[in-house]
Amino acid sequence: MVKEFAFGFKELVIDHKLMAGVMGYENGQLPPPFDEYMETALQEAATLNDIRASYLLIDNSRIDKGRKVLYARENEFNIGNAVCNELNGAERFAFYVCTAGKTISDKSVSMLKGEDPVLGYVYDILGSAIAEAAGDKMQLFLKNEVGKAGEKTTNRYSPGYCQWSVGDQHKLFSLFGEAPCGVSLTQSALMQPVKSISGVIGIGKNVEFREYQCSLCFSENCVYRRIRGI
Amino acid sequence: MNEILTQLSDCIEFGKINMASPYPPQMKGQEGADELTAKALAEGINPQDVLTLGLMPGMERIGLKFRENKVFVPQVLMSAKAMSTAMLHLKPHFLSGAAKQKGTFIIGTVLGDLHDIGKNLVSMMVEGSGYKVIDLGTDVGSDKFIAALKDHPGAVVGLSALLTTTMVNMQAITKEIKDAMPGTLITIGGAPVNEDFCNKIGADSYSADPQGVVEFLNRKLAS
Ligand code: B12
Repeated sequence: MVKEFAFGFKELVIDHKLMAGVMGYENGQLPPPFDEYMETALQEAATLNDIRASYLLIDNSRIDKGRKVLYARENEFNIGNAVCNELNGAERFAFYVCTAGKTISDKSVSMLKGEDPVLGYVYDILGSAIAEAAGDKMQLFLKNEVGKAGEKTTNRYSPGYCQWSVGDQHKLFSLFGEAPCGVSLTQSALMQPVKSISGVIGIGKNVEFREYQCSLCFSENCVYRRIRGI
Repeated sequence: MNEILTQLSDCIEFGKINMASPYPPQMKGQEGADELTAKALAEGINPQDVLTLGLMPGMERIGLKFRENKVFVPQVLMSAKAMSTAMLHLKPHFLSGAAKQKGTFIIGTVLGDLHDIGKNLVSMMVEGSGYKVIDLGTDVGSDKFIAALKDHPGAVVGLSALLTTTMVNMQAITKEIKDAMPGTLITIGGAPVNEDFCNKIGADSYSADPQGVVEFLNRKLAS
């Protein structure tokens, strides 16, 4: 079963502190004039109408802990050790795709190349935050849905993180059939629009939600790791 | 050293574009890179000195601060904007030969990949360090790199990739460039790339940040 959502920007909870942190300002405050740039971008973002999220529930799916493989329909996802542990206990899975949409992705690229690179960069950061916020909202909806029957959800995990190859995106997209949320995949497993995320959430009576831990990932120089001070 | 050139370095370092620009707050109301470059040239300062002694030291300082996490991408973009404003005044002098760039750098995000912020930062920083930059954009295959190299013999090539699936394309591109244009130097970068991978695919240098590319070019082209 595929569930699709169209979100208005105002419905999303955008993490402003995180955005400032990603831009380098670890106290969560953007100094002038970058705060004004962000204000401009936020106002513009209020008009976005192509923010989408979508998940697909697959009941007959399971994990082989020994092989670190998640089986869903005819696909084998090589999720690796860390993701396998995080999904431990799941009885079924929700695969998802969320996007901040083409408008903001394109706007960022054209500004960056042209008239105002700083504003383009701010759009880029905001676009990433919107994609993640759409993911948060979709995840909350799913949690509440399955919660009605006493099931719980894990955090969300994406191909390309930990030891899970980004190449598995092809399998993930094949589950959906049509381009979910209008997001398409290039041969090299890149989603278009660029500001999009994908992955899986484990569901079951005995799963646990764990906050994302940088220690699961191997990226030493990642901005998120720096902000979190790990 | 000439006072104007010192001021010009500061404008680049702190991202002061022109008089009207309110950024940075401590330089509000002062002349920026735009006015000072025009003034320096009008006063008869050698265009080469404007580039080498005025603009480039400012760019180097911001590059080093970026590496040390003392400034961040938005500030670097401000500096880059100040730099490109100044460069508009210098363009005629490059064309006439009165000022020379240190060499040519061809950069692109490799085939299959569309990420370009990191690549853009590298290209701005390299340009600001006195090199001519040919930015081929994103999703670039070896044919385009080779065509650009034919137009700019001796140029150094930079390859950028942000995904492990596209990073592998660096290997084929590096080989094809080196087969077609032996002796071409190739530097690579992007989040998933590292020194080991660079050695494995036969590229000549890996750097984690734009300043590293500038240092590599300075060693190879400008010495
Ligand atoms: C922000 C971000 C996102 C955002 C926006 C992405 C975008 N393209 O705009 C969102 C949330 C949407 C996202 C999504 C995804 N992401 Co992402 N993302 C990042 C993150 C955190 C920062 C990227 C960034 O903008 N950096 C800022 C710029 C300025 O840095 P940079 O590009 O690296 O460039 C610097 C250097 O690398 C260097 N450099 C760059 N080019 C060159 C060239 C040369 C020659 C040299 C010398 C140097 C050099 O200099 C630059 C300046 O310092 C990185 C992790 C990280 N810390 O880098 C992951 C990362 C790129 N993402 C990753 C992944 C896996 C994904 C997804 C596939 C996850 C998923 N399944 O949903 C998707 C893919 C999206 C798509 N369209 O297909 C992986 C990619 C690795 C891999 N396994 O392939 C990374 C590396 C995280 C990780 N796992 O370690 N992502």
